[in-house]
Amino acid sequence: MATVTTPRVHRLFHREEVMGTFVTFDGYFLSAVPHDAHGALEDAVGELHRIDRIFSTWKLESPVSRLRRGELGLGEAPDEVREVLDSCLTARRASGGWFDPWRLPGGVDPTGYVKGWAAQRALDRFQRPGMIGAVVNAAGDIATVGIPAPGQRFRLGVVDPADRRRLATVVEPPGAVATSGTYERGAHLVNPHTGSPQALVASATVTGPDLGLCDALATGLCVGGEDALPALDRLAGYEALLIPFHGAWKWSRGFPFAPDTAPVRAR
Amino acid sequence: MLSVKVTVSGSKLTAVTIGTLNDGGNYRSQSIDQYAIPILEQQALAAQSANIQGVSGASYTSAGFAQSLQGALKALGL
Repeated sequence: MATVTTPRVHRLFHREEVMGTFVTFDGYFLSAVPHDAHGALEDAVGELHRIDRIFSTWKLESPVSRLRRGELGLGEAPDEVREVLDSCLTARRASGGWFDPWRLPGGVDPTGYVKGWAAQRALDRFQRPGMIGAVVNAAGDIATVGIPAPGQRFRLGVVDPADRRRLATVVEPPGAVATSGTYERGAHLVNPHTGSPQALVASATVTGPDLGLCDALATGLCVGGEDALPALDRLAGYEALLIPFHGAWKWSRGFPFAPDTAPVRAR
Repeated sequence: MLSVKVTVSGSKLTAVTIGTLNDGGNYRSQSIDQYAIPILEQQALAAQSANIQGVSGASYTSAGFAQSLQGALKALGL
């Protein structure tokens, strides 16, 4: 853990390896980082590990792994599993069916929702009175609250799927942002209607109040592309950007580009 | 077995070269420029920029990350 002091804003930063990836925490304070912030960070980190032990499909004996093998009934699983699967039903509807954890090989797999959901829960535990803002970044799924400094909003880059050294754009989301694409882990996305691997766009980015839902919607949009976009119109507060393999970007009307990077419609 | 040569200016990464041992015991170098910036450098980009607090992209696994650059850099204390 490191406490970094910059003019006017003090920051608490931590990086944790969990859920097979790295999750970072940033807390922003107008005065010295208070002692109880470290306790809140520990709670939040502990929650991530607890969630990982329940949901990890890489841990052979996790409740979700056992559920997938038929060794555990849903009624015997921890409450969080039922809570997450309920939320996945909502996410499936909201995505127009393009996000469907029940149609993945090997049994129900809520991973496309869980990482965002876990990071959002971690943020809820991490944020304290006295913080002007906080960020939890789970490998590119990002939940925010508040502001990084007086008069500023959180600004988050979006990776250019054609060149990961570059940013495609910058967003100022009302809360959370998640991006789905195949350029990091290869062909891991599946079309729920056909059962075959599919990614119709290079990357899909979704912003909105809840990171779990952003995560699920981004997954569905990456699989379904433009066909999956209309479902978003029925969902208040969620916006999307699609970056195709070739050709023009497509985005929902209210997508929160940062003012200095807002593209003209013809892009 | 991988050998990793890192060039650092201050705390900023400027170049990395990964070499692999082939059967003859000679090094074949391969620039990893095309591997693009693993999260380390994306985070460094965000941290160094006065203007952004993070980067959203497709998620990477820590295993994949360790195989690329980060593991070697952590070992070097960076």
